[in-house]
Amino acid sequence: MPALRISVGSPGSGLHLGKVMRDQAVLIEPYIPGLRRFANALLRGDRERADDLVQDSLERALSRWHLRQKEGSLRGWLYTILYNRFLSDQRHRARRGIHNTLTEAVEAELLISGGQDSALAHRDLVRAFATLPEEQRAVLLLVAVEDLSYQEAARVLGVPTGTVMSRLSRGRDRLRQYLDADRRGGDAGPKGMR
Amino acid sequence: MSEGRAIVEESDLHAYVDGQLAPDRRAAVEAWLDDHPETRAHFTQYAEQRRALRAAFALTPGASIPARLRVARLLAEERRRRHWRWTQIAAALALLVIGGFLGWTAQSLAPGLQSALTGGGTTTARRITTDAIRAYRTYSVEVRHPVEVGAAQEVHLVQWLSKRLGRPLTVPDLTGAGFQLMGGRLLPAEDGPAAQFMYQNAKGERLTLYLRSGIDGETAFRYREDAGIGAFYWSDQGCGYALAAKADRAVLMHIAEIVYRQTAGDSGKAKLPPAPGKPG
Repeated sequence: MPALRISVGSPGSGLHLGKVMRDQAVLIEPYIPGLRRFANALLRGDRERADDLVQDSLERALSRWHLRQKEGSLRGWLYTILYNRFLSDQRHRARRGIHNTLTEAVEAELLISGGQDSALAHRDLVRAFATLPEEQRAVLLLVAVEDLSYQEAARVLGVPTGTVMSRLSRGRDRLRQYLDADRRGGDAGPKGMR
Repeated sequence: MSEGRAIVEESDLHAYVDGQLAPDRRAAVEAWLDDHPETRAHFTQYAEQRRALRAAFALTPGASIPARLRVARLLAEERRRRHWRWTQIAAALALLVIGGFLGWTAQSLAPGLQSALTGGGTTTARRITTDAIRAYRTYSVEVRHPVEVGAAQEVHLVQWLSKRLGRPLTVPDLTGAGFQLMGGRLLPAEDGPAAQFMYQNAKGERLTLYLRSGIDGETAFRYREDAGIGAFYWSDQGCGYALAAKADRAVLMHIAEIVYRQTAGDSGKAKLPPAPGKPG
């Protein structure tokens, strides 16, 4: 039987690889809490799915480590990968016929009723937030919660900064209208809100 | 700061709320807001919103990173998977070499043996390589219309073909092997559409990557040759890939490795192993 050997990795690179691995851990892990928070909010409090998404994204980032731009922000790159995974998952679910608005409504309720204490304390806001269009939610989360600059958020979402600003403006305005309507007495809220 | 001269736009006001203004700009915006109480009320609400959103989505204090998200663990998993895959590839290659050798030496004794060991294999692999070679033969000679959608519209091309094949596709970058993407096309296949990406090198030699989705079963590696056109086939995560060109097995194998790396998604980090020598 002919001996056919395929070497994996480069010989004698053990030390170097060890260092790269440590670097990867040191560089990436500080961002993991933020990535989990972002995924959790995008997925309306479904923590299992959120961690699946984070795991998926980290695996992708590690396998494409050589493709990241050295001068670019690692944080922005990680958020970009995660957001793109999120979008393709959403498309996949839509294709498999999972009715988004229905599951989203159920998930929003889950988050509000069975979710975190912090979410309970901000029940109206979280509920209003869950009704915003995807793109506005993503901008608000990246800018207001994750503290990305407008330029970084634009890169993550793959849109011009001007688009980030207009989505931010529309998202904030809609949230304000919902909450104002809520304060005035519930039933006056826009469609979709009870 | 003179509020009379400062031009304040809505984006400045958001940047004010988000703490993204330089200090001098911030002073100008504050002065402007003093003169516009209604807008100030508005943006004060936005600042409250921002605080509430942060509080609502705040992490549980002191929560640690779950084990499955630790980088060391993810790397270990990736190494394990990669090792397993390359073991499979090595085994498949060994089979190809043995098959080629046996087929060549034993051709007169057992004409069927060669195809059984090299060109044969699973019917899926056989079907797809046949289709891929046919498609290569048809389109690679085209001068004016080699592709349906050109590389200039790569984003559209990928979206379109991904949509038709029902799975996200990656167009491998083969510039490292000297091949530039020309574009791609949609093709009919037995029970669904297939995609074909075409590449060309500086010498004008062309190669195609043919893809089918919905491929069940184990990862299979097959090589097949038909009238000077070679096709190397493998399947990965439900997708069947066939790389076809007028090239020998070693060249195709080398490029197939590059494609495999880039499409497998979780094995891209590894250093490329040396291309196996020409077998036989």
